[in-house]
Formats: sequence, C-alpha cells, structure tokens
Amino acid sequence: MTHTFRPQRRRIVFGGALAALAPSLVQAQARTVTDSVGRRVQLPARVERVYAAGPPASILLFALAPERLLGWTSPFRPAERPFVPSRYADLPTLGRLTGRGNTANVEVVIGAKPDLIFDYGTVSPTLASLADRVQEQTGIPYLLIDGAFDRIPEAFRLLGDIVSAGEQALAWSSYSARTLDEVRARVARVPEGRRPRVYYGRGPNGLQTGLSGSINMETLERVGAANVAAELGRGGLVQVSIEQVLNWSPDVIVTTDPNFFASVWRDPSWQPLPAVRERRVHLAPGLPFGWIDFPPSINRLIGLHWLGRLLHPALFPEPLRPIARDFYARAYHQAPSDAQLDALLTQEKPPGS
Amino acid sequence: MRAAKIPVALALAVFGLGCLVVLAFALGRFPVSPGDFARVMWAWMSGGTPEVPATVQTVILNVRGPRILAAIVVGAALAGAGAAYQSLFRNPLVSPDILGVSSGAALGAVLGIFFSLDVVFIQGLAFIGGLTAVATAYFIASRMRGHDPILVLVLAGVVIGALLGAGVALIKYLADPYNQLPAITYWLLGSLAAATRADFLSVLPAAAIGIAVLWLLRWRISVLALGDDEAASVGVETGRIRVAVIAAATLMTAAVVSISGIVGWVGLLIPHFARLMVGPDFTRLFPVTALLGAAFMLGVDTIARTAGRIELPLGVLTAVIGTPLFLWLLATARRSWQ
Amino acid sequence: MKLEARNLGYGYRGQLVGRGANLSLSAGEVVCILGPNGGGKTTLFRTLLGLIPPIEGQVLIEGTDLHASSRAAIARLVGYVPQAHLGYFPFTVQDVVLMGRTAHLSPFAVPSRRDRDLAAAAIERVGLAHLADAVYTRISGGERQLALIARALAQATPLLVMDEPTASLDFGNQVLVLETVAKLAGEGIGVLVSTHDPDQAFQCADRVALVHRGSVTDIGPPEEGLDATRLRELYGIEVQISTVEVEGRPRRVCVPAGVTRQSAIFGRE
Repeated sequence: MTHTFRPQRRRIVFGGALAALAPSLVQAQARTVTDSVGRRVQLPARVERVYAAGPPASILLFALAPERLLGWTSPFRPAERPFVPSRYADLPTLGRLTGRGNTANVEVVIGAKPDLIFDYGTVSPTLASLADRVQEQTGIPYLLIDGAFDRIPEAFRLLGDIVSAGEQALAWSSYSARTLDEVRARVARVPEGRRPRVYYGRGPNGLQTGLSGSINMETLERVGAANVAAELGRGGLVQVSIEQVLNWSPDVIVTTDPNFFASVWRDPSWQPLPAVRERRVHLAPGLPFGWIDFPPSINRLIGLHWLGRLLHPALFPEPLRPIARDFYARAYHQAPSDAQLDALLTQEKPPGS
Repeated sequence: MRAAKIPVALALAVFGLGCLVVLAFALGRFPVSPGDFARVMWAWMSGGTPEVPATVQTVILNVRGPRILAAIVVGAALAGAGAAYQSLFRNPLVSPDILGVSSGAALGAVLGIFFSLDVVFIQGLAFIGGLTAVATAYFIASRMRGHDPILVLVLAGVVIGALLGAGVALIKYLADPYNQLPAITYWLLGSLAAATRADFLSVLPAAAIGIAVLWLLRWRISVLALGDDEAASVGVETGRIRVAVIAAATLMTAAVVSISGIVGWVGLLIPHFARLMVGPDFTRLFPVTALLGAAFMLGVDTIARTAGRIELPLGVLTAVIGTPLFLWLLATARRSWQ
Repeated sequence: MKLEARNLGYGYRGQLVGRGANLSLSAGEVVCILGPNGGGKTTLFRTLLGLIPPIEGQVLIEGTDLHASSRAAIARLVGYVPQAHLGYFPFTVQDVVLMGRTAHLSPFAVPSRRDRDLAAAAIERVGLAHLADAVYTRISGGERQLALIARALAQATPLLVMDEPTASLDFGNQVLVLETVAKLAGEGIGVLVSTHDPDQAFQCADRVALVHRGSVTDIGPPEEGLDATRLRELYGIEVQISTVEVEGRPRRVCVPAGVTRQSAIFGRE
C-alpha cells in the first residue's frame, strides 16, 4: 500500500497528534495562580523577568529574589545608593503602574518583556479592575498581592510560589513570622493604660498625622503605642494644628521628616511639650527605604525593632545593630558597614546629645 | 448724609473685628478659660509673668495669637489687593490671581516640597515665585506695543498662570505619592495651622508696604476706573500708577500666600461686599474692604480649626461659606449700593 | 493760552491717519472740527491731548512741546470731554465730577472741602444740581454728557477739547450743549469741539477746520469758509446754504438738497 495520504486524512492525523500532546504542552507552558483578590491568572512555568508595579512591590521582590527584578519605579537617590549593591541600584527605572498615579509608559513596560507584572499593597476592587485592564491591554499576567502588615509571611509565600523562589520564600516567611510574633508577644505584656502616647508628625511642619487604621500608622500600632490621634476616629492622613498637639501632650514624638526634626527644637510653639523638653523626639531612619512608614512594605519590619526599643527599652533589650545588619543583609543583599550603621542609628538623637 | 455714613461704617467694622478677635482667642482645641486669657494678656502688656501653666501661655501667645494676627493680615491683604485690581482692570470679576501670583507662589512652594526643603525655604520660594510670575507677565505685556495695555496684561497673566499651573501639575505627578504629594495637596488647599509668630513677622513688612502704597494712591486708583484715556486727561499718570498698584498688590499677595497657601475667593468676593456697602470710590472702599477681609478670614480660620475633628482647608471653606453669602447678599440687597 | 498743532502727523502704531495738520485753539474762541465718521477726528483729538504721541510734527501748548510735559501739567491746561459712555461701577455724578479736580491734587492727596465745592459749582453750572447724588450709570445719555462737561469745568482749564458732545443726545439736549459751549467761550475758555453736523458749526464756531481723507484744513469762520462745494466734497451730498432771520438777526443754515419727503410733498402741486 502506498503511503500517500489524502489531504483530509493528513489533517486528521496531524490534529489528532496535537490533541494528544496538547494537555502536556499546556501544562508545561502555564499554570494558574490565584492572587490575593481571588483572580485566577495564567502564568508561564518559569518566571524570570518580573515587573514590580509600585515601590512596595519592588521592595518585596528585591528582598525575595532580586535577580528577577526588571527595574525600579523611580531612581535611587544618591543617599540611598550606598545601601544596595550597585548592580541592583543600576537597574533601569520603569515607572509606576499601580492605582496610585502611574508614571510608566505601557509600551516601555511591554518592551521590557516581563513574564509577569505584580503589585503589592492595599487591595480593592478598583485596583483589581485596573489589573484586569492592564492584563488585557498588554497580554502580560498581572497579579495583586495583599500588603497587610500581618500577612507579610503569606505574601512572601505567594510571591515565592509565583516566581519559583521557594527556598527564599520559606526563609523569609519564617523570619517575618518570627519577628511579627515576637513583637506581638512582647508588647502584649504592656497593659492598656501603660502604653506610651505617641504622636507621629509627618511633613515639613510636622502637622500631618495618621488616624487609627491608616496605613501610615501600621508600624506604630504594632509596638504597643497609643496613637494620640486615635481619638479623632479612623481614617487616613490628616492635617492638625499645633494647638491640637499641645492638647494631646504626647509622651513621644516620632517623625520621618529631617527638616521638621531639625526645627522642632528651636520652635517656641513646640517647646511646652514634655516630649520636646525631655528630648523624646525621634527621627526614623530612612535609608534606603523608610523604617516605619513609607513605602508601606517589608522594609518596616526593622522599624518594629527600632520603635520597640525606643518605647519599651526593657522589653527589647537586644542591641539593635546586629539585628539591623542582619535585616539589611537579607532584605537589601548588602550588609551595611559600621559607618553606615552609625549614620542610620544615631540620626534619631537630638542635636547636641 | 453719605459723608457721615463712612466713619460710622468704619467704626462698626473695627468694632466687629475686635469682637471677632476676642471670640477667636476663646475658641480652640486646647481649653483656655477667660480668666487665663485675661491674666496672660495683662501680663504680656505689663511685662510681668502670669500665673498660668506654660502650655496655656504658649497656646495664647505663640499659637492662637500669631494665627489670629496672620489671618487678619492675610484677609486684609487679599481683599485689599482684589479691590485694587478690580478698580485697575475696571472689572468686578477680577481677583488678585489674575496676573498669576498664586500660580507662581504655588510652583515655588511645590518645588520646595519636592526637594524636601525646610519650611523657611518653601515659604521663601513661594514668595519669590509669586513675584516672578507677575514680573514676567508684566514684562511680556510691556513688550506688546500697540494693544490695549489692560487687555495684554490680563492675557499675559492668564498665560503665565496656565504655564505655571502646568508646572505645578507636573510636580504633583512626579512627586513621591506617599510623602510629598500629601504635603503638596495640603499646601495647595490653604491652611494657617502652622502659622507661627515668625511667619507673621516675616509677612508683615511686605503686607504693610503694599497696603501703605495702595492707601497713598487711593484717589488715583479711584480715578483709574474711568478708563485710561479719561484718567490721563484729568492728570493721572496711568502707566506709573498701574505699575505701582500691581507691584503693591503683588507684594502683599505673594507675602501672605507664602504663609497661608492658596486661599481663593477672598480677593474676589470681599470687595463686592464692601462695594455694596460703601460704593465704588476707592478712598472709601479700600479701608472697608481690608477690614471686611480681615474679619472674614479670621472667621473662616476660626471655623477651620474648631468645626471639625481635623483642620479644614481654608480654600475650601472660603468658597463654601463665601459663595452662598454672596448670593444671599445679591438677592436681598438692591442692585445699586444706595 | 494757545494750543497749536504744527505740521502734525497723527495715527496709531506708525500708521498715519492724517498729516500736515496745522491747527490752533486760543482762549475765548470756539473751533469746530467738521468731518465724516471714521475720518480720524478722535485720533486727532487724542494726539492733541497728548494721549498718543505725534508721528510727525508737534503739538505745542503755550509754545512748549506737549509731549514733554507731565500729565498733571497738561491736565491743568486742557480738559477733555469724551463721548458719554457707560462704565460698570456705580459712581455718583458727584464722584465723577470730583475726579476732574485730580489735576490740582498732589500725588497722594484726596479731594478737599474746596475741591468738593468747586465740583458742586460745576454741577450747578450745567444744570445738573438735582442729580448730584444720582448714580452716573442710571441717568440719561444727555445727563451723562452734561456730567462730563461739568467734570471738565471742575478741572478749571483754560482750554477744552470736546469729542462729539452732542452724539446720541436728543434735540433739546443738543441745543443745550451748544449753548453751554457758546457760554464757556464767552467766559474766556477756548473750546475745540468736533461734530459732523454743519449746522452746529454754524451755530457755535468761530473757526472751522475740516478733517477729511487725512488732511486737516482750517477754513476760518464758517460763514466765509463753509460752502456747498466744500460740504459736497466732505459728505458726498448736495446741500444748500441759506441765511434765515431768527429774532431779527441773520443765521446761516444748511439744508440737504436731495429728494426728501418734504421736497416730494411740495413738489406735488
């Protein structure tokens, strides 16, 4: 018999072979992952190139698996660079593609050929729909990971699963869980009435603060501090007046603004505060990323230790330097030098002490 | 009979302002009793030390006092500048922002915030920004010969304002959304929450000079409302007076905007109120407008710091309070001011 | 007191509207500028007042270059009565007239009691005393024109320049204004008034200057210089100049010769 198949038969055989191979082909090509808002997204088997859509996402990925990071959302400032290995600091700037104001050019993002895009932070229906739109527009899978402070260990596990960095994810998830549990347990010993009253002053005049439940206050709320602004209710960032702060008369003032920190000592309006007189005003370290407020990502884990020591010295007796050095080595892949640690850890002292 | 009305109107306005000041001192987040207040004021005037806690003293002398004084200066300056511009441009719909001073100040301040500068520099940049914007608009206008000078001035101001506004928008876009953007937003909404004694003292000279110049030129400014040709024909050096008025109004406005942020509507609405009360003659209009503006600003700022659980922005309050008031006034008053 | 234009070329932005103008106005005389609409009369006036600079030639006041004098100095010598307009701001008649006193005030001064009295007297003089407190924007066009004349009177200048003061006034008010002009000249004030009605020139002018197609021609007293030929050249229509007797005295009048209802009626016999 001659093996001349008629055209139809050829097609049938070819189609059948394909159909037989298809499932395994598909399996090798894709897997489905569910993100934090319940979106089921198809991913390729190996994810090598990841575009982090916002600063918190960049930090999360950088800590977990820096070699997957395609670029940053904004360039490093000169003061921030020395804390990160230069090969990472030199990664290109791609802009933000989150719900909070985008600066990325979608074509540039596509041109960078990411295997996936992900964002890390507050999750809401708006952000979910935005993710769907970008996904549809670019054909690149877009995932959302919940940035809630207490769910940091889970976030590491999910991201680790997505980018196939299982080992690192495990290490991080246990480190972060340990830190969170440890801090929680220690501050639980402080009775409600003995919690230090803390005012967190943001902005150049120190008059912006966060209400309770605000993402800016997450670190503070986990170290057994009483937010003086809590009496104003729940919410986000607000502006208050000096009079209000005088009325609250906080025990401790924490700030992230160096200009405010420098001026508060000479400002006659702030003088009457016991916190100012007793030199209990502290500037949170912020290099390369803030320790207690922004960006709201895993960089704040070290802030728990710092704040804990500040507010409850007896409950946090361990020296901070080794903890900080260890955290930086893990999160930023470069152990800081002694000089750098000095700079970080002494800047919160008032001038002259 | 009209001649007698003016001193009466002025006296009433001053008295009203005085009452508002006392009220403003009495209200606030920090509890201050009238007795404490009296003791502190007495001690301050007589040079002694009052028997009140240091915090109360600070609240009265360092917090509420400067804030009240700042509100008065801001209100008087914005309203006075508005009245002067309305006469100068012969148009009651003109506000002090028409030549771009607010946009310039906004860009200056926003740049200061963007580069994380000290508050002093933010205010300084705002002041310089406001002056530069108007100087640029004036320069551009003066190069356009052969057109109606008022028209080119307004157009140049609008163009500069738009350009600088775009600059502000760009900075907002590039700013760090966690840290800088909230600070920028608050500044642009206007607030006296951080007004200190130093702030008040730093704007006082500029505002005083501006007000003094407008006061000295009050008759000529009134005559300018006739139109360039007629004003010139009765002996007014229209070009020079125009420069002087613009310089004075810009100085005042840039100075107060640098400490208060952008507060709209005061320069537009208050002169209208005043005009409905005493007529368009600038010699009568200016003092009444300044007093009304001071009282209005003081009232609004007091509401801003006591009405809600948080500080309310001044720019929003002036619009929300001012516009219905104005509509009511238009509806109930007769069309002319008589 | 003499205002003179010598070889004056006037216009905007370097564009000449008229040139070679030779004109003079002395105290106590009425000079009427006659010309069609759009002929450049207002531009000429603004140049004579020093509001726009001359492109060629000179404007002299008492022999000195007008352009070199300060606004206040000019304003003490020459007053301006523009066409009555509507401003926005509701000034009173009193306010408007008082502004005429500005030329006599030092830079930072406000009008004194004496200034107010002089303004009140000027308002009297034009017969507007009953409207002194009225809002300028709400009185009639004629009354506004009179108020502007009062303002120029309050300015107390030896010379006055009036730009079409009878435009948009009713017949009665027109005559009133012309009578005021004649009265002022009788009191020693020199008045330069523009009109496009030849009859008005006959009624009040000592001399007439024709402004037409960029040239200004002083033709002397109207009885001598204003004839039908000139008017045909100026307006492109046929007229007849006649003399009629009014209260025993001869008066020149100008009547259009073309077909009108009247001529049509009288034509039907």
